[in-house]
Amino acid sequence: MRIVLVILVVALGLTGEVASAQQAASAGALAGSWLGPFTVVAAGIGMALAAGLCGLGQGRAIAAALEGMARQPGAAARIQTAMIIGLALIESLAIYTLVIAIILLFANPFK
Amino acid sequence: MGALEPPVFNTFGLPHHVVFSWVVMAVLIGAALALPRRPALIPTGLQNAMEAAVEFILSLIDDVIGPDGRRFLPLIATLGLYIFASNLLGLVPGFSAPTDNVNTTASFAIVVFFAYHWIGIRKHGLWPYLKHFAGPMPALAPLMIPIELISHLARPLSLTLRLFGNMLGGHILLSIVFFMTVGLSTWALSGAAGLLGVIIGGVGTVATVVFTVGFLFPLKLLVAFLQAFIFCMLSMLYIAGALEVEHGHDHGHGAHGAEAAAHH
Repeated sequence: MRIVLVILVVALGLTGEVASAQQAASAGALAGSWLGPFTVVAAGIGMALAAGLCGLGQGRAIAAALEGMARQPGAAARIQTAMIIGLALIESLAIYTLVIAIILLFANPFK
Repeated sequence: MGALEPPVFNTFGLPHHVVFSWVVMAVLIGAALALPRRPALIPTGLQNAMEAAVEFILSLIDDVIGPDGRRFLPLIATLGLYIFASNLLGLVPGFSAPTDNVNTTASFAIVVFFAYHWIGIRKHGLWPYLKHFAGPMPALAPLMIPIELISHLARPLSLTLRLFGNMLGGHILLSIVFFMTVGLSTWALSGAAGLLGVIIGGVGTVATVVFTVGFLFPLKLLVAFLQAFIFCMLSMLYIAGALEVEHGHDHGHGAHGAEAAAHH
């Protein structure tokens, strides 16, 4: 019974993966509107803002982690692990902006 | 994005991320099959590396979920090894990572989403598990339920976009640096800018190549491991959060400070 379930799920997954890969890019009603050139500027400025603020946030996280490690060198390994996780989570906010910028540059619905 | 397609292998009309995920599957299954049938008491070589990886993941599970979370090792370790191997495949010239396509990363996130809810429902029962979304007091329910709903829906979205954005961003960066180096160096070294151009072009090319190989490539290696680690860590945190809903949020096992991160 479990084997049947596993095979069913794997088959569904394979068909789903190949089917979803045939994405057709279609020009909607928004194509060619006046917003087109501004989206490129928006992508650049948005990414710059996100990168700068992400740098500030990560700087504060590392500063706090270093201070903790200096106070208690014995806890350095645990603090370092928590610092790495925190840095990756803060960075993911800038990554979301990067995804929006990539969409605006390469798959722009307004052009 | 035609310039970013891997030019080497013909994938027979199938999407790249599907074919390269088969490559990753073949590598991982081959590594598993290459292990000796009867493990040696003192491991060497491949068995040693695999044991080190599994012990690392087990220590993480013990830290985050607790010792009774060890039965989730197959899920977490499969996700971790598969994501790490997929990320690494993108660093090999001629291949591209299956994880730099949003379909692949979304499939991982959906699996984790259904997994941690299923684990919570199986442990506590359907109605008690759903009741915990209402918060500590019934009077707060109209406020807590939309907040919890949105935060739980944001989890697979953030898992997807984090992994996808990191891999695709690194891929684009390497492609841009590569094509820019090739273009600029051929233009400068062809003498179109005069002798000064040749000198500056030569030095610049060497500097860019050293920068790429010495800094960007190790950075991408680090990001490959880190993103797989973060994905596993967050999956474990979500599972731990689903397991301990009845006992409140102060149930030890080192998940204190991790709870704050789980509500990201």
